[in-house]
Amino acid sequence: MEIKFDENAVYDDEIKQAVIEFLDKVSTLEAKHQVPIIVFQDGTQGAYYIKCSLLASDAAKLCDLNAKLVANKPESLRANRELMLSKSTYLKMEEDAATGREFNDIIVEYTTEYDPATPLKVWGGQHRISAISRTGKSDRYHGFRVYFNLSKNQRSDLALISNTNIAVSNDTFDRMVEETTFGNKLRKWCQIVGLLGEKEDFPDTGARSEKITVKRARSFVVNFYLGKERGKQLTSEDLDLKVYEPYLASTGVIIDQRYAEVMRDNDILAGEDLITAGKKFVTLHKVQYKAVTSGQSSVANRKAYRNKALVESVLCGWSYVAGLLQSHPERLENHYRVPKTTGKVPDPLNAQEMSEFKYDSDPPTYRGLGTRSSAKDRQRIAQLFLAKSLEKNPVIDKNLMHKAVSQVEWIIRRPQGYA
Amino acid sequence: MLNFRDYLDYAERYLRRAEDEDVGSEDINWLLIPATVLAWTAIESFVNNRLDDYGVLPEDVFELHERAFLLEKRLRFVDRGSDIGCFVLEGTEYHRLEDKIFFLIAKFSSRGAQNIRGQSLWQNFEEFKDVRNGLMHPRRDTEISLGVEMIRAYIQTTKAIIQLVSEHIWDKKVDF
Repeated sequence: MEIKFDENAVYDDEIKQAVIEFLDKVSTLEAKHQVPIIVFQDGTQGAYYIKCSLLASDAAKLCDLNAKLVANKPESLRANRELMLSKSTYLKMEEDAATGREFNDIIVEYTTEYDPATPLKVWGGQHRISAISRTGKSDRYHGFRVYFNLSKNQRSDLALISNTNIAVSNDTFDRMVEETTFGNKLRKWCQIVGLLGEKEDFPDTGARSEKITVKRARSFVVNFYLGKERGKQLTSEDLDLKVYEPYLASTGVIIDQRYAEVMRDNDILAGEDLITAGKKFVTLHKVQYKAVTSGQSSVANRKAYRNKALVESVLCGWSYVAGLLQSHPERLENHYRVPKTTGKVPDPLNAQEMSEFKYDSDPPTYRGLGTRSSAKDRQRIAQLFLAKSLEKNPVIDKNLMHKAVSQVEWIIRRPQGYA
Repeated sequence: MLNFRDYLDYAERYLRRAEDEDVGSEDINWLLIPATVLAWTAIESFVNNRLDDYGVLPEDVFELHERAFLLEKRLRFVDRGSDIGCFVLEGTEYHRLEDKIFFLIAKFSSRGAQNIRGQSLWQNFEEFKDVRNGLMHPRRDTEISLGVEMIRAYIQTTKAIIQLVSEHIWDKKVDF
């Protein structure tokens, strides 16, 4: 089989022999079709490599995920990061591998210096190799770069560049998947209710932005419909004797199933009740934001305080209760009214006292009410807004927080349960 | 607002200071007395807050006499005016700390009240109560002598009583 050196690669006989040995031992698509193999040489570190394609079944047998930086030292530990097999991005990769996805640019080093039964030491693409090895369902050709006769420095450089990538946030994935699956419906809905400006889009990274993310907008929509369904089943006497579990939409490359169902069963751009709820929520958010940022408030102008309404537990709890009370119009009206402020409580959501709130059964590490996205926090916030809706114009003060949380804790623990 | 953990922390700080000072014959009662009172207050804080928790629940959750107990109010039968023939809650009627503990356990425990009085913990509690009452309501003919070991034991009793209530009403221990 013909082996050529690229014009930027200095001819090296040892490299050529190593490539011949590799091609003798490993079946490639190029060998099958008698395509010449080109040897390249990296301009930065001078490392030699070829590009070829291997069958998934061969790769699974020959690849070693425990590549070592110093091959001949037994104490040299594996250099690669741990595989993250439970990440949604990985699970999607496995799913794709099973349905015939062909991966490319998997970076391996061919060496028989250690563990010769698996001579392809993987430096880049360990998740892809894992995915194609574990599924074993679709035996496709995948693209490899195979390095030869690496020095320690070349190996180290290869390990570094193979593991450097620009992290893509789940918020960006969400935005892409949303657009692909449902078009611009959610964005449009956010623009209509005022969660996004007229020409605004969802942010790339929610943590660095003060805008609503795809995940939160989805959570709002799902909770509204979940609450609405639950509310239809309850009498007004039952409303306050239940514990509710607002839902937090999942994020990443696999679309949240509950959200997908809601989008399948409802037209969010035509749902007047949902649009009204969204607009009322935006009013609450704007009043809270203004109260904290006005400069006249005693509340510290922190992101967590001014954007209190957008905290996941607060947003989910508020939206769930908005749905729940659709069948209980008087209380819905109370819920939609922005909470009263006073000299002591200058912002409607009383962000500071909420974050200082702690129930005696909470561990000392508990971070306060409406500060996290945990199920416990979402339950408590739903109860807080429900308790608030009992009166026309209450202040969200410590007493109301205490009442709501005590109620959740009592209902959860009473013998007849809380369903 | 201070909670039971704060009071317990203060009591322990006084105790630690007393341990440091307890090297000679010097009087350290000025440290042991507040440690004792604060440890007791930690139990009161925990128990009273539990009554408050239940006191804010919807009115129809409890019988009127139970609400009266939770809210520490007097239950009165009205024999005149617009509420004639009804029971109303009014004024204040304080209850002993141990009665509140018995009520919480009897009413909210998933395991039911056991013979709490028969346990050694309860004997320790009674002893602690006598000392605390002696300090809070001093009399010329009542001599109270305190020591570091005693206060250490009282703080342990405080924690054990709080855990007893917590395990009965929440089915879990609290973190101190």
